[in-house]
Amino acid sequence: MAFNYDEYLRTEKMPTLWCWGCGDGVILKSFIRAFDKLGWNKDDTCVVSGIGCSGRFSSYLDFNTVHTTHGRTIAYATGIKLANPDKHVVCVAGDGDALAIGGNHTIHGCRRNIDITLIVIQNFIYGLTNSQTSPTTPRGMWTVTQKAGNIDPTFDGCKLAEAAGASFVGREKVTEPRKLEKLLVQAMEHKGFSYVEALSNCHINLGRKNKMANAMENLDWIDSITVSKKKYDTLSPEEQMNKLPTGILKQDKEADEYCDMYKEIQEVHQGKRGKITQDDFEKKI
Amino acid sequence: MAVMAAPENTPVWVNTDRCKACDICVDVCPAGVLAMRPDPTSVLGAMISIVALDDCIGCNECELSCPDFAIYVAEKKEYKFAKLTDASKERAQAIAENNYRLPSGF
Repeated sequence: MAFNYDEYLRTEKMPTLWCWGCGDGVILKSFIRAFDKLGWNKDDTCVVSGIGCSGRFSSYLDFNTVHTTHGRTIAYATGIKLANPDKHVVCVAGDGDALAIGGNHTIHGCRRNIDITLIVIQNFIYGLTNSQTSPTTPRGMWTVTQKAGNIDPTFDGCKLAEAAGASFVGREKVTEPRKLEKLLVQAMEHKGFSYVEALSNCHINLGRKNKMANAMENLDWIDSITVSKKKYDTLSPEEQMNKLPTGILKQDKEADEYCDMYKEIQEVHQGKRGKITQDDFEKKI
Repeated sequence: MAVMAAPENTPVWVNTDRCKACDICVDVCPAGVLAMRPDPTSVLGAMISIVALDDCIGCNECELSCPDFAIYVAEKKEYKFAKLTDASKERAQAIAENNYRLPSGF
């Protein structure tokens, strides 16, 4: 016996359209294994994806899926979740989708702490449109839009999500598929907004001009810039500067979840309780 | 759990219709079980092949790292996998140094 991924896939769309060695496939695989481990029903789950290579996620998964407009995954997912609070909603977005054009939706999804799992596939570049600088492209790297080297400071999506109020924040990489699977299980089980950043390779569009033209070199580079959260905490600020911590970075099980709060509003209108006042909240501002 | 039947007495098997020849599985295999073979019909001119079936240690790394759902590894309770030997490690090293193809003499 072996694990049968095809049970969760639209096999008529295989092989995938992604380039050879693309990390998106490993993330898709880890997601399927994590989902299988949770024992959820795929008919009770909605996968929402946006535009970009990551947008293909919803095409390959045989779930209830929505392939939405660029950057608006969280907006669509919020609507789906509020209308179906007992169903599971998983969003998949790339770094351009979630942090550039959809940055606003991401921060407000985090702020509301609605029970959605957001998987951000972070490959440090706009891969689908051929190597333009993304908010996460490391400084000094070659891109099509900054051929002399990228001068833009980079964005740390996990810190953004943490500050914006997501109750679960984690980061993992495609070179550790077992750890990625475990993190996805914890993120999907968590009640509240879960932000998972999956570091992925794009040796075709990031690597070709940055001395990592094959998948293995790109994956080795990802390994070289990441350390576990435990080890990261022991490093000095200078050593931390060019490293990204992996693992669970934040988990707050006590935070109010948005669908629960929304139920209270429904009860107000049904006359089951009085209006919501400031006294209902411990933290008001 | 989603399971599929394994071919009889096979620790690891591949689906060549899905393989895109990215070399990742060959790179992660510690026992030199997998290697690329030339294939003029493939886009990158190579295709995955199993060169030492009996030496598979069942670590599952190739299956987990394959982005294209092309490799499957049998479950540990159903198949008795081999132990990692020095000869296996040597072959894995030789394959990695020979551009992920099996060098002659192995």
